[in-house]
Amino acid sequence: MNKILCLITIVSLLTGAALFVRAERPSELKFPPLKYEPPDPAAYKMTFANGLRGYAMEDRGLPLFTIAAQVQFGDIHVPGDKQGLGGLLGRTLVQGGTKSRDGETIEERIDFLGGMLNFNVGEQTSTLTLSVLSKDLDEGLELFFDVLLNPEFREGPFNLAKARLIEELRQANDQPSEILAREYQRLLYGDHPLSWRPTRQTYEALTAADLKAAHARYFRPGNVILSVSGDFARTELPGKINRLIAAWPDQPVEQPRISREFPSPEPGVYFIQKKINQGYVSLGHLGLEENNPDYYAVQVMNFILGGGSFSSRITTKVRSDEGLSYNQGSRFAYRWGFPGTFSGYVQTKSATVGYAVSLILDEIRRIRREPVSDEELELAINFYLESFSSGFESPQGTMTTFAEMELVGKPMDYYQTFRKHIREVTKARVQEVANKYLQPERLAIMIVGDWEPCNQGGEKWPGPLDKLGPVHRVPLIDPLTGAEVKD
Amino acid sequence: MSRLPFLLAALLALAAYASAASVQLDVREHVLGNGMKILILPKAGVPRVVCHVYYRVGSINERPGITGSAHLLEHMMFKGTRMMGVTDFEADQAIDRRIDELMARLYREKFWTPGGGNPEQIATWQKEAETLMTEQKQYIIKDDLWGLYMKHGGTGLNASTGNEVTGYYVTLPANKVELQMLLESDRMMNACFREFYSEKDVVMEERRLSENRPGFLFSEQVNASFYAASPYRWEVLGWMDDLRKVTRADLTDFYRRHYVPNNCVAIYVGELDPEAILAMAEKHFGRVPRGADLEPIRTLEPPQLCEKRLYGEGPAPTSLQMMFHAPPEGHADNAALSILATALGSGGGGFRRGARGGETGRLQKLLVKEKEMAVNISAFSYPQRYVGVFNFNAQPRIDKGVRPEDLEREIWAELGRIQQTGLTDEEIQKGKNKAEAMLVRSLGMPAGLARRVATAELGRGWRSILADLEQLQKVTNEDIKRVAAAYFAKDNSLTAIYQRKLEGRERGRREGRPGPPPGAPPDRPQGRPQGGER
Repeated sequence: MNKILCLITIVSLLTGAALFVRAERPSELKFPPLKYEPPDPAAYKMTFANGLRGYAMEDRGLPLFTIAAQVQFGDIHVPGDKQGLGGLLGRTLVQGGTKSRDGETIEERIDFLGGMLNFNVGEQTSTLTLSVLSKDLDEGLELFFDVLLNPEFREGPFNLAKARLIEELRQANDQPSEILAREYQRLLYGDHPLSWRPTRQTYEALTAADLKAAHARYFRPGNVILSVSGDFARTELPGKINRLIAAWPDQPVEQPRISREFPSPEPGVYFIQKKINQGYVSLGHLGLEENNPDYYAVQVMNFILGGGSFSSRITTKVRSDEGLSYNQGSRFAYRWGFPGTFSGYVQTKSATVGYAVSLILDEIRRIRREPVSDEELELAINFYLESFSSGFESPQGTMTTFAEMELVGKPMDYYQTFRKHIREVTKARVQEVANKYLQPERLAIMIVGDWEPCNQGGEKWPGPLDKLGPVHRVPLIDPLTGAEVKD
Repeated sequence: MSRLPFLLAALLALAAYASAASVQLDVREHVLGNGMKILILPKAGVPRVVCHVYYRVGSINERPGITGSAHLLEHMMFKGTRMMGVTDFEADQAIDRRIDELMARLYREKFWTPGGGNPEQIATWQKEAETLMTEQKQYIIKDDLWGLYMKHGGTGLNASTGNEVTGYYVTLPANKVELQMLLESDRMMNACFREFYSEKDVVMEERRLSENRPGFLFSEQVNASFYAASPYRWEVLGWMDDLRKVTRADLTDFYRRHYVPNNCVAIYVGELDPEAILAMAEKHFGRVPRGADLEPIRTLEPPQLCEKRLYGEGPAPTSLQMMFHAPPEGHADNAALSILATALGSGGGGFRRGARGGETGRLQKLLVKEKEMAVNISAFSYPQRYVGVFNFNAQPRIDKGVRPEDLEREIWAELGRIQQTGLTDEEIQKGKNKAEAMLVRSLGMPAGLARRVATAELGRGWRSILADLEQLQKVTNEDIKRVAAAYFAKDNSLTAIYQRKLEGRERGRREGRPGPPPGAPPDRPQGRPQGGER
């Protein structure tokens, strides 16, 4: 015993004295000035035949060429009885082959060249991306546009993709985080394209004709924007591309009408049973659309509340002070055309779920009640100003950002004015938007975890969970059938 | 303060430009007088610089009893120094000494006494320690370093610990690189492990997150079974028991030995002036005293000479894993093993939505597409610093009644064919093309490039990246047949078979496998490590 104490003392003395070397303090550092202006989208804009648009940046540093096509088609465009169409299209656009090539030939060739050709369907847009060595630019472009324009969804790969997607449904309840994300979305958006999910039945009902119809409707030049970067000549690009899209007729795309009506779930606790040793929690309500003029003030406010990782209040309180969790914070997710969400989140051991939630609720109330400090505001604003250029580190990323802005109709001067808007945020504005967009009385608190220990709580916050509001037990859905999982 | 003679270090500075085939690496290289390596890769673009520091330390430098220390230490490195994170250093240290004293008594009572000691006594000490911790809060500035980096526009801010290497990351505006040099050199010398006991709780929560990832606990056992002796056998997170019992003194000792400049590489990638970077590095990192040289790991893996099989069940998808011992980095056989992995099934690893990469490997074509026996299958070759591993992973098509053992048989049959006839010329060329293109692609991603170059430097030197690519270009079909025969042998393998244990009405119906034999033990509760909660 004494030996241990002695050892600790020696180590402490060593750390306390001999090994310390005086360092200059950070406040004494002088940084040379640095000016940065973001790239202007207009300088990179290009137009091609048939109304196809694009953004392209030459970047000759490496012998690489990248092109992406963003299509305004995503899961929200899929009708209720065709759920899974997005996922299936994602798997078969390349693998299902084209009119003149089977999928395996395309994949083999791309792979042999050390290239990549991927297609991914997201919530509102989908993206086909090709990356090849620039020596293979012409061959790559030909395969890229063949896949984009002429997919055939051949029977073999189509059926195989479907069977594999159904197999993967079995895993949809494996990860607590996936259950939480899915059910939280369903709770906030109700019965809506934003929360619909495929089942075995909807997958099985899908046909190659469904995919062809979706492709024919949405994959039109006017509904697609290209983003291009790498080792190529801008002057030569229209010639190369126009030759490949000559037979791609434009026609106006009729966008489906999607409901903007959402339920207001009763505030309180929504509990999903899963036998794990932690509770996974999201708590919140609907939030803002991406073009909301309060966006900048909300970003700064949320940075201080729980978005600025270790420099935010929720992380300091829940993780650093109390050691309750590894992941915690708050976020505003923005959507184009629909309200996004506000969520506080934490994953913590069952006994401290109630305590962690109560600490997050305290912070939400506090940022509404009191102005933030000068230091907090300065740190948040400086972060946005000083990290601004990081959004343009990757030429392809920048071109993709511009393409998406144009596709969804975001103002093209967004980045030119971003820093001005951030500089204008004040403490009063932070408190104002906290009161406007954080609504503690409306919060739905969703928990995936083991009911008994979560409800029992711990020393610092004994249960039951209904101290946080009325408790609703939410059944777990079997993703294969869409029905409740029964014990 | 000791300033090392500038001349000595400057003499060692040199610009290096190395290339293999079409790939070129323009690395400025400089060794400080204290043995610390500075690497610089100028890259035009936005005015930002990736600033990373890597130490040659990871979980393989631990021993039973202190597993998880490298990772816990990485967390503690954010808790401040003499100048960072504290308002009154002396007062803070005085409280820490009293806390350590109490906790030493508490740990001894709790962990040394059979039966876990006297609970009232433990609770009393715990309360006393907590009172001290509350008192200490007045001196602590929370996440001072993190906040400072953020205030100056730091992005990509993080740290990570692996088996072999620990890294500290930030990307800063090009005019603020000196901030990183000051803060990183400061915490290399002066780290204080404030809030040690609550941060241990955070790390235990991090471990619980992993435990809740279906299949984690089984894969932890698989890994521990695959290595009989090598310290690669425990996870970076460490065993929960060790996390619970590790002390601040354990960690201080680990830190003092490994966080020394002669065990460290700093790398800068971006729009920068190499001369200015070197001058700043001399000023800040140059003042850190050199530490004792570190002995390489002693315990390598002995030959297995027996087949290992592991069976498990739980909440993850039914799957097959086959592992083979392979040579470490730098061994001549790795080039052929890498081409074999690509030819057999690289790129097929992802099976969730958004799965990436062409599925053109032999096993994917045969078992996923042609025979429709697998949902997915992948093959990877991982040559690590001391021991290598070649890995197959597959998920059977349960809807078709396929079992993991069926896939195992198919993989062995394919390996048998390769031992006889090797690969086609096209398959070998594909492996070479892919490796080269992937390296070119990685050069365009500054943070990933920094990691790759610096970790290579801590291993066999950064030039090994290009040397390995050159080795790859020389691989012939004879090499393929030879390595396939040498490493794909039962007594060099571990086969892990995992069955999803279905809940409720699902049980025993969908799996397409026979039920448990009569007299089999009843279902075990799903394994949580003993005493997972405090």
